[in-house]
Amino acid sequence: MTAISLQDVRKDYGTVRALRGVDLDVPAGTVLGLVGANGAGKSTLLRILVGALQPTAGTAHVLGLDPTTARREVRSRVGYMPQAPVLYDDLTVRENVTFFARGHRLPDVAGRVDEVLTFVDLAAQADRQVQTLSGGQQQRVSLAATLVHGPEVLFLDEPTAGVDPELRRSFWNRFRGLADGGTTLVVSTHQMDEVVHCDRVAILRAGELLTVATPQELLASGGGTVRVTATDGTVRERHVTTVAEGLPEVLQAWGLGPEVASVEVVGPTLEDIVLALGTADREGDGHGD
Amino acid sequence: MATDRTVAVATRVLLQIRRDHRFIGMVVVAPFLLTFFVRTLFDATTVPAPAQARFVVPFGAYIVHFATFILTAIVLVRERTSQTLERMFVNGYRQGEIVTGYLAGYTTLATAISVIELTALQVLFDLGYSAGQTAAAFAVLWALGVISLALGILVSNLARTEGQVIPFIPLVIIPSFLFSGILVAVDQLPTWAQAISRISPMYYANRVLQEVVAGTSAAADVGAVWGLPLFGVIVLGVAALTLRERT
Repeated sequence: MTAISLQDVRKDYGTVRALRGVDLDVPAGTVLGLVGANGAGKSTLLRILVGALQPTAGTAHVLGLDPTTARREVRSRVGYMPQAPVLYDDLTVRENVTFFARGHRLPDVAGRVDEVLTFVDLAAQADRQVQTLSGGQQQRVSLAATLVHGPEVLFLDEPTAGVDPELRRSFWNRFRGLADGGTTLVVSTHQMDEVVHCDRVAILRAGELLTVATPQELLASGGGTVRVTATDGTVRERHVTTVAEGLPEVLQAWGLGPEVASVEVVGPTLEDIVLALGTADREGDGHGD
Repeated sequence: MATDRTVAVATRVLLQIRRDHRFIGMVVVAPFLLTFFVRTLFDATTVPAPAQARFVVPFGAYIVHFATFILTAIVLVRERTSQTLERMFVNGYRQGEIVTGYLAGYTTLATAISVIELTALQVLFDLGYSAGQTAAAFAVLWALGVISLALGILVSNLARTEGQVIPFIPLVIIPSFLFSGILVAVDQLPTWAQAISRISPMYYANRVLQEVVAGTSAAADVGAVWGLPLFGVIVLGVAALTLRERT
């Protein structure tokens, strides 16, 4: 089942083309990583999907609903975590989450707030004012406010920006847990190493969707370098477009005689691949974020 | 429109006001201080005390108008720039609920400012008003304060940033004083200025207050008595309609 569907979605800010015709389908219960540099159009895309922005052209559907015409229903079923924490600094953790929960008119607000604060491991800090918390803790409050009404789809705009590696891992564990429970997640990030946590990765550059693939497909598409080291220390290297196709050819050409001490295949990292995709055919800059 | 969401906004606003002690201190001190400045000004003139009331009571109302208008004009635009307004919308709050919730929360401040201002006028100018006159004057100041809150919300809707709202403040505040009838009778003004006076709550407030100061029934000027709340309802409606939910 498709949870999110975009057809030729465009967004212009005056003369700036923030999104240039994005087509995308996200299956329910999966984690889609939305990857791109600052200005690629990630935040614009997420804000269109929650009905906060009107697309200039094209159609978007979330859970079968158009966020432009049915934004109230869409918003009752999705959660949106903005890039910055976007909280009331002078209110406590509990007061913040309770305030956003009351917008959804939940039957048991207090119980649900306790539940979600436990989920983000902030129950002990519930009565502290947000301004006294660290940046990572504020991000967790923001996540709690996003999850409080039990949304079916989550749009998370760079939720791990500025948080330490340990917290990032804990965030991704929580995201995976939510997806395993059937929630669909769209997580924007410009930290390339995070895409390994996603089921699929959509790469945006200057408002254009360059590709949608699994992390494994992206890795396989990246080619690599075959390095053959002889017993006398001589090293021979050759770049191959794809490791699976290029490796036999290289080995056949060089042979595998007794003088070969080792054969090593050096692949690019996901970051290398994403950056290569993002810089190829660079014709313009997006200003979508 | 859901009452519980309106109450949630009002409760949150009140919580934030309660925690800001410096702000509360300013709200208490500023009306007294400004009224004291007016007293100092009149002390330097030969205007007899009974005639002073014709100016100072409406000027006290103007202080309430100024203070309450600025409050919401700035605070709501801050909600927009910090994106909490967008987050409220995404979490289910609606325009009418946000506007009325804000109005309800800040009405407590408008009430406090009206009481403080009226007390300052009584103490510093020794008005010697009857209970009926005091109640009528308070009702006008309070209604003006609440309507000015709504006007502040409306003006904040026209701005995207706190910087943009600044030029709107003198544009609203200065004509509302000049064309209110406090200094010069409105019917002596050119037609265009008379038209401007009628889109300011100060014009209606001044008309009613002149009746109160004169000791006649405030209800004598029916047009002004009804004009003030009618103006408020219109401003509130337009404020709710112009609060952008989407860009």
